[in-house]
Amino acid sequence: MSRLSDDRLVAYLDGEAEAPERREIEAWLAGDPTARDKLAALARSATLLRQAYHEILREPLPERLIAAARGATTTPTGARILAFAPKRAAASGGALRRWRFALPIAASLFGLLAGGGTGYLGIGEILTGGGSGAASAPAVEAAVANNLWLDNAAGYFKMFVAAGDNALIDVPATGDAREALQKISQSLTQQVRLPDLKPWGLNFRGARLVVVDGRPAAQLVYTTDNKAIGPMALIIGSSKQPDIPPTFDRRQDVNMLYWRHQGRAYVLVGQADAGYLWGIGNDVAWQLDAI
Amino acid sequence: MEPAALAAEEDAIASRFSDQLIAMLPRLRRFARGLAGSIVEADDLVQAASERALARRHQFQEGTRFDSWMFRIVQTIWIDQMRARTVRKEEAELPGDRVGSDEAMRRVEARLALGEVRRAVDRLPPDQRAALLLVTVEGLSYREAAEVVQVPVGTIMSRLARARMALQAQLEAGAGIGRSRNDVEAQ
Repeated sequence: MSRLSDDRLVAYLDGEAEAPERREIEAWLAGDPTARDKLAALARSATLLRQAYHEILREPLPERLIAAARGATTTPTGARILAFAPKRAAASGGALRRWRFALPIAASLFGLLAGGGTGYLGIGEILTGGGSGAASAPAVEAAVANNLWLDNAAGYFKMFVAAGDNALIDVPATGDAREALQKISQSLTQQVRLPDLKPWGLNFRGARLVVVDGRPAAQLVYTTDNKAIGPMALIIGSSKQPDIPPTFDRRQDVNMLYWRHQGRAYVLVGQADAGYLWGIGNDVAWQLDAI
Repeated sequence: MEPAALAAEEDAIASRFSDQLIAMLPRLRRFARGLAGSIVEADDLVQAASERALARRHQFQEGTRFDSWMFRIVQTIWIDQMRARTVRKEEAELPGDRVGSDEAMRRVEARLALGEVRRAVDRLPPDQRAALLLVTVEGLSYREAAEVVQVPVGTIMSRLARARMALQAQLEAGAGIGRSRNDVEAQ
């Protein structure tokens, strides 16, 4: 290699160099301390650049932009009516009825969770359909499962809010929140990390184990004095369904943003408006590298 | 299909499209902020792009990347606006200044350093700025960025290298990196 051009060095840093060229550049770097320093400086400035713009993702979305995306118009003062996404066709009372029916089922149905805490809901059996839906088309099953998942997420959130200070918290966030989450992760199939939502004024209150789609999931609950935002819950569970991008929905009078990524399903639930949910959801996804 | 059913299906498609668009808004705002520099201009740009996307919804090809399509719309509108203006605003409103943010007050020093990075980006030529934002901030591949700005991949590669080197030089001259590193070390 005659020389290491800036183009090639930057492409290498961006992961755009093909394998043979990558090896060639690495060999060059091994013998050229100046080029290594240059690479390190470029990497630092790229990190700074991303940091400089990341905060924008955390800003609440101006309502005029949400209105524009919905095809609504704004008044000169910016006031407008936010048209929430209509309920999905299958987000029917049927799903809700099944959820309500499922509530009384004892936690002992789920041996996996036995001894893991209190207050579990026997929803998983219902979600899996008990085999009765095996003849349904996969797409229909997926849609039904998705709807049940979301109704359950809304239900868990409402229970948490209704309970107020008496809300059941399996692992309270007293002391080290990360340690609390570590404990709850022991009952899950995958390690769950804790998004830091303090920039939004949301304080981690604790975590609960819940059951969604027949598998344990973590419900992370956050509270805040800002009534425009909180309280809020993030449910993270496993999923065998394909990835889907963040999607807004509203069920049982609560707003939610849900997405699936690489075998995990995420639902952010709260009473905050869509703008806050999109902003916080983006932040969560970024922190957890979920999108 | 019955007209009512057709209308309902069309509504459902439009709703899904809007959902997708709203999900993109934070990233579109970030991209637009990098291009336009100021909050108000960036949001105007995103609003115009959203309205154009809705109007041209049928042109979006399912199975292709929605984010790339939207970035392209933002970029196109921005170029049109740039051409319409003879002079670009030299001193944009301080990037990143938000009104009413407690966090902004608490982290003012760190944000000043990051504001310096944004100002350095703002001083880059427009084509380099777009390449830098698409690849380094938004995470698009060179090929995807080339499709957004409609130039060959090699052009993106060279614009990006020039942008990265210029940014590096500006930050070193302004001690931007040094200050930020000190901030990090101080934490």
